[in-house]
Amino acid sequence: MTRNLSLLAGIAVAAMAGTAVAQDVRIGTEGAYPPWNYTESDGTLAGFEIDLGNAICEHNGWTCEWVAQDWDGIIPALQNGRYDAIMAGMSITAERDEVIDFSHGYMTTPAHFAVAADSDMAAELAEADAATMLAALDGAVVGVQVGTIHQNLIEQELPGADLRFYDTQDQLNLDLVAGRVDAGLADVNTWTEFNEAEGAEAIALIGPGLTGADYPVLGVGVGVGLREDDDELQAAFNEAICALSNDGTIATMTEEWFGFDASLPCPE
Amino acid sequence: MLDLLAFGDAGWGDELLQGAAVTIVLAISAYLLGIAIGMGAAAMKLSGSLILRAIAGAYTTVVRGVPELLVIYLFFFGSSGAIQNVASVFGYTGYLELPPFAVGLLAVGLISGAYSTEVIRGALQVIPEGQIEAGRAIGMTGRQIFWRIKLPQLWRFALPGLGNVWQLTLKDTALVSVTSLAELMRMSFVAAGSTREPFLFYVTAAILYLAMTTVSQALFQRGERAASRGVRMA
Repeated sequence: MTRNLSLLAGIAVAAMAGTAVAQDVRIGTEGAYPPWNYTESDGTLAGFEIDLGNAICEHNGWTCEWVAQDWDGIIPALQNGRYDAIMAGMSITAERDEVIDFSHGYMTTPAHFAVAADSDMAAELAEADAATMLAALDGAVVGVQVGTIHQNLIEQELPGADLRFYDTQDQLNLDLVAGRVDAGLADVNTWTEFNEAEGAEAIALIGPGLTGADYPVLGVGVGVGLREDDDELQAAFNEAICALSNDGTIATMTEEWFGFDASLPCPE
Repeated sequence: MLDLLAFGDAGWGDELLQGAAVTIVLAISAYLLGIAIGMGAAAMKLSGSLILRAIAGAYTTVVRGVPELLVIYLFFFGSSGAIQNVASVFGYTGYLELPPFAVGLLAVGLISGAYSTEVIRGALQVIPEGQIEAGRAIGMTGRQIFWRIKLPQLWRFALPGLGNVWQLTLKDTALVSVTSLAELMRMSFVAAGSTREPFLFYVTAAILYLAMTTVSQALFQRGERAASRGVRMA
């Protein structure tokens, strides 16, 4: 009952307050995908996207609120209005672009195949070129996190492989180390971070890094996800992303969080 | 590695325990809601009215026949749309949603209720017809028959089945983690992802769930013994 009353009170207050206050923007994130976004042990959100999102909000003079949302429901919750924007390491893809809009990309990381460090493939394919590597993997057991651009890539490039789909990267990591899959595909720093956390070179990279330039399914980087009719918000995010890219803020931030410059130039 | 489970801002111990507390409160309230629904729906199923029987039958068939996760998603995404429609009648066009806890309570309570319905219906049918007729013969009203004859025996027949429903309900709360309610499963997932120590946190969560089910199983056993006092055990 009290909940009903406070809800009604909330409606009344909101209706009276109108839209005169400074713009409030709510940003949804997963909160469990370091270093993009994760949760500190005291419960607060942190990561590259939290820093960048706050910088964008400051640039635009917005009051921003972060909302943690499970990855599986992250697009429906945006469409439903639970928040206004997604910053959750979400790559811009044609598939996603059909249901939501994206800002300009604010960063990109190459995708990389990886294998258990003690496997034969680790030695054989360490320096292989992309074609050799893909030929060797076509027929192997290859794992990938479901619903990612990496899934699209292996489905397209490895028709003969035994594909395994994982709900989370953690499960894939465990199976890769345990030898239940021969190789996995993910962002390059997903693998390096895992090795750091393990304190050992448990996983080895093979072949070159793959980018959207050669494999269009990999998309054009990571962008802010927005509702399709939110053109004003999209323009404001684009303007802020270009400003922060041009003045080197994003380059510095990605150096800090990823160890390399993953910034993208502002598109013309 | 175990320092990750420390209490305070340095570790995840307090977050996990808070998550466990949310899980317990959610499970108990959803379970009680489920028993209330179950009593009502069981009465409907056993009533003479064709319409009431059809409504209760449709409820248990649908809810037990679709995945629990789907029910939770329907409530999570459906409820905010429904509330916003109501709010727009009052001229408010912003975003409104039920608190994730309420979504979880409604969804899990509804699932739990569907299983409780069948358990309670079965228990009611075990009570010998002769006892009811005897009650009627000495002039008891329907309400008196329910309180004095049916209910005291209902618990004895229903408790073993309801104990099963409790365990299902407790575990179903883990599915509410998709609404990002900070219960035990969601907290362990966030901790596992953020620290990249999935094994440590999932094992810890498993131990906490097991502790909850073990304690509650013991309580249900005591309850069963209490409900059966005065009845000779075979």
